[in-house]
Amino acid sequence: MGIAPSHGRLLHPSLRVTAEKKDQPDTLPVEIAQINEQWGSFRDVNEDILQAKIAQEQEQNGAPPSDEEAEETDLDTAERRDRLYKKRNEIIQFAAQSHTEAMFALDFVSLLLSKHAPRQAETSMSPFLKQVAPLGSLNGEVVNPPAKSEAALNDIATVSRGWRIQNFNSASSKLLDAASRLDSEVTAESRYWNEVLAVKAKGWKIAGCHKIVKHSEFSTASLEATPIFRDRGLASLRRSADGALLLDKGLIPAGSRFVRVRVKEGSNISSSSRPSEQNSSNPDSVEYQILQARDSVFEEELYHELVREARAMAPSGVTVRQDHIRVPASDDLEILLDLVDSNDESLGCGRNSSDSENLLADGLAHSIRILLAFAHRQNLHRRTQIPSPLTGKKRPNPEYPLLRPALAYFQHLSYVRRLESFLRDIYGVLHKAGLETPDFTISSFINESKNPGHPAPPTLEVLLQNSLSPVKSVFRGDLLSSGSSFEITVRTTLLAPPLGTAYKVTVNSPAPDFKSPGPLGLREEVEAAIIHILLLDVRPADEDQKATPAEGHFWEPVYPHLGELVLAGQPRKYKKMKVSLSRHELSLSVHRVRKFDALGHGGQEPESQPSRLHVWICNPSEGTTAESSLIDFVSSQTS
Amino acid sequence: MHELLLFASVPQHQHHELLQQLAGLTAMQPRHALERRLIFKAYRKPGLGASRTGGSQDLQASGDLQRVTKMLNGGMFYTQVVGPVAENDFSPSGPDADVQMSGTEGNSAGSAGAYDYEQQPWRLEFRDVPEAGTRSAVTARVMATAALPCGDVVPAMNAWGYHFVTEYVVEGDMFTYGDIVLFLHRVLHYPSTSLEDKEPRKHLPALSEMSVMEKSGSYVLQASMTVLDGSNQETMKTASRHLFALREKLRSAVKLEMADRLSLDTRAK
Repeated sequence: MGIAPSHGRLLHPSLRVTAEKKDQPDTLPVEIAQINEQWGSFRDVNEDILQAKIAQEQEQNGAPPSDEEAEETDLDTAERRDRLYKKRNEIIQFAAQSHTEAMFALDFVSLLLSKHAPRQAETSMSPFLKQVAPLGSLNGEVVNPPAKSEAALNDIATVSRGWRIQNFNSASSKLLDAASRLDSEVTAESRYWNEVLAVKAKGWKIAGCHKIVKHSEFSTASLEATPIFRDRGLASLRRSADGALLLDKGLIPAGSRFVRVRVKEGSNISSSSRPSEQNSSNPDSVEYQILQARDSVFEEELYHELVREARAMAPSGVTVRQDHIRVPASDDLEILLDLVDSNDESLGCGRNSSDSENLLADGLAHSIRILLAFAHRQNLHRRTQIPSPLTGKKRPNPEYPLLRPALAYFQHLSYVRRLESFLRDIYGVLHKAGLETPDFTISSFINESKNPGHPAPPTLEVLLQNSLSPVKSVFRGDLLSSGSSFEITVRTTLLAPPLGTAYKVTVNSPAPDFKSPGPLGLREEVEAAIIHILLLDVRPADEDQKATPAEGHFWEPVYPHLGELVLAGQPRKYKKMKVSLSRHELSLSVHRVRKFDALGHGGQEPESQPSRLHVWICNPSEGTTAESSLIDFVSSQTS
Repeated sequence: MHELLLFASVPQHQHHELLQQLAGLTAMQPRHALERRLIFKAYRKPGLGASRTGGSQDLQASGDLQRVTKMLNGGMFYTQVVGPVAENDFSPSGPDADVQMSGTEGNSAGSAGAYDYEQQPWRLEFRDVPEAGTRSAVTARVMATAALPCGDVVPAMNAWGYHFVTEYVVEGDMFTYGDIVLFLHRVLHYPSTSLEDKEPRKHLPALSEMSVMEKSGSYVLQASMTVLDGSNQETMKTASRHLFALREKLRSAVKLEMADRLSLDTRAK
């Protein structure tokens, strides 16, 4: 198969050496002559052919020819050297002899020609001949051969006709062989190319590779992937003997693997993502193999990028171990990412669980894949722009945002929920106390949509771009004081500084006491700010409601920011009320104050007996609700 | 900034094939580009540089003065102002039709496509004479690009000492190959009108009325690469290496070579 046709005759069985054992081995010249006669020139012989020939002979004879070799190996080196010299001498002798013969022939021809061209012939004559024979002393003439007999001529004609027929036969059989071989080759080739075209028709990028014959390459990875994965995405389509398409996977791993996302709540894993279902029913088809190869490369790249991103996210508590990534999402939620075989049955623990349980993990798994595809698209976009000028510095290769958007979402969700529950608690306290604070509203997950450039990118890209922008939620509520409202904006991003969650509390009120705290960083600060705002709000509310029952007597806020009020109107008798609000309770304590200092507002500590301290507490969580309402308590204190 | 360039001439019959080859090489679709190019010439402002220095001044002062006068009088260059335009900016209707359209009510959709000279963005492109005597076989020259205000640039350019000479349009396709920008383009001339060469046109004629400067319709392939710091030999070498690699890749399709230095001379005589 691998040998060129010009060597074919050497291997033809009829040219085998007849296996006759002779008494005496032939001399070397005889052997050389014999070989030349039988096998043709030495020029075409090489080791491969001889090896093949020996193997063939062994196959056909079955006799192990190793006896001689075994003997030869027994000979010691000195003897072998002697033998080598002897053979060498023989070769030299033989060469000398053939040289002499050739010189004789030259002399003969020269002498023969010297009659017609003496000057030229003289140059090639040996000096000895020149001495011995004069020039032109030999002549040649054409002699008519005697006529051959009729029978001999017939014989010759028959033999030559036979030869010719034989040659024609062999030529025709060779041509037929070649034709059938070409035919099968054409069928195989056309089948191969048809299948390649079928693959191409499905949209795979196919390129011919000139280095290896009968082989074309196609790309499974995106052109925008990291170079190692882009190059690994090349696989070759080879042709099998009958023309069927063979996928040479090269560096693509054999089994299909996928990035598994597991969500851990507390200490047990609550949900786990599953590999995507393969549509093709026939696992042997080339299409299935190509799809599998593509998926594997994509998943490997995904994991690679996840690891890269996770390393950059180490400050957020993300840890990368040898085989998995651990991402703490929120308080008791943890995400585990690893690359596993998709057909590993031992991992099937999550498969039986219902879809709703796996919703979180599946959603996350889909989101990281969509974001990787989006990152590829962004790469293409960046690549086709006019490049920035070349500098000595290497261009940074930023990590793709795969985990960070999801993580920002989780973080945001957790913070918003906490804030909401806090507000619900405190509103509950206020409602329970009989204050009719209007309820607040939440608008969650507002995306800060940017102004689309020109020309406007496709809707899909806008959608994804929005998902990468900071997540924002806004709490809005009206206060009891007329025309006042507050707004809390929660903004989370992990992609651009400022990283993390930031709050902004603003109050719109005509009252001078209300001042917007502005941007805040910590949850506790926000909670304190809310309490403060509501406290300030409770106080005027008290004021409004309490002014009515007792004309002329009203509570005057002295230290509104501390929630302290003083009942004015009675010249020498002051009552001081302290309102305090917390997440769980609203309490009012009223005690008498003897006097005020000259500044009018600084209250001296009264010599108050415990009996004079009146306390009203509303604490819905512990169930301690005062019997009387807040207004009744205040009214009773006022009078 | 420095710019390294290689050029090749592409006959028209090869244009389509080369577009496909380049699209394959760069793995991207060509970006069609149409650019208005206005040529401005620097002129010597009267009074500047007219001060003749006397013969007997001390060396210190004459050195400074010489430098200033050299700066003022030495380099006089042509610069070009480039404004990207879209294909539908070239309206077949003349300026009169535009007036009518903007006058009619409810025809805003039609007039939205019309060319608005006041909104035309511009950028100033300065190109020096290519460096002389460089051993490497690429054209290298100092370049600078600056954004200009939209709309009428002539007053601003006049204030800087440039006056408008002529304008033309460049049509072509752009590819990006790594750090190299490949621009396969040709120059289009405006149909000749009476008010030629006085000021930039406010309206563009139909694209089909534009005539090709090179009558055979051939294109120029320009492979360019910009280097931030031209004095850094290392980056300049890297850049030319990249260009040579591209030249080798495209050898079977086009022959990229450096341009004649004096044919890219931008000095105003």
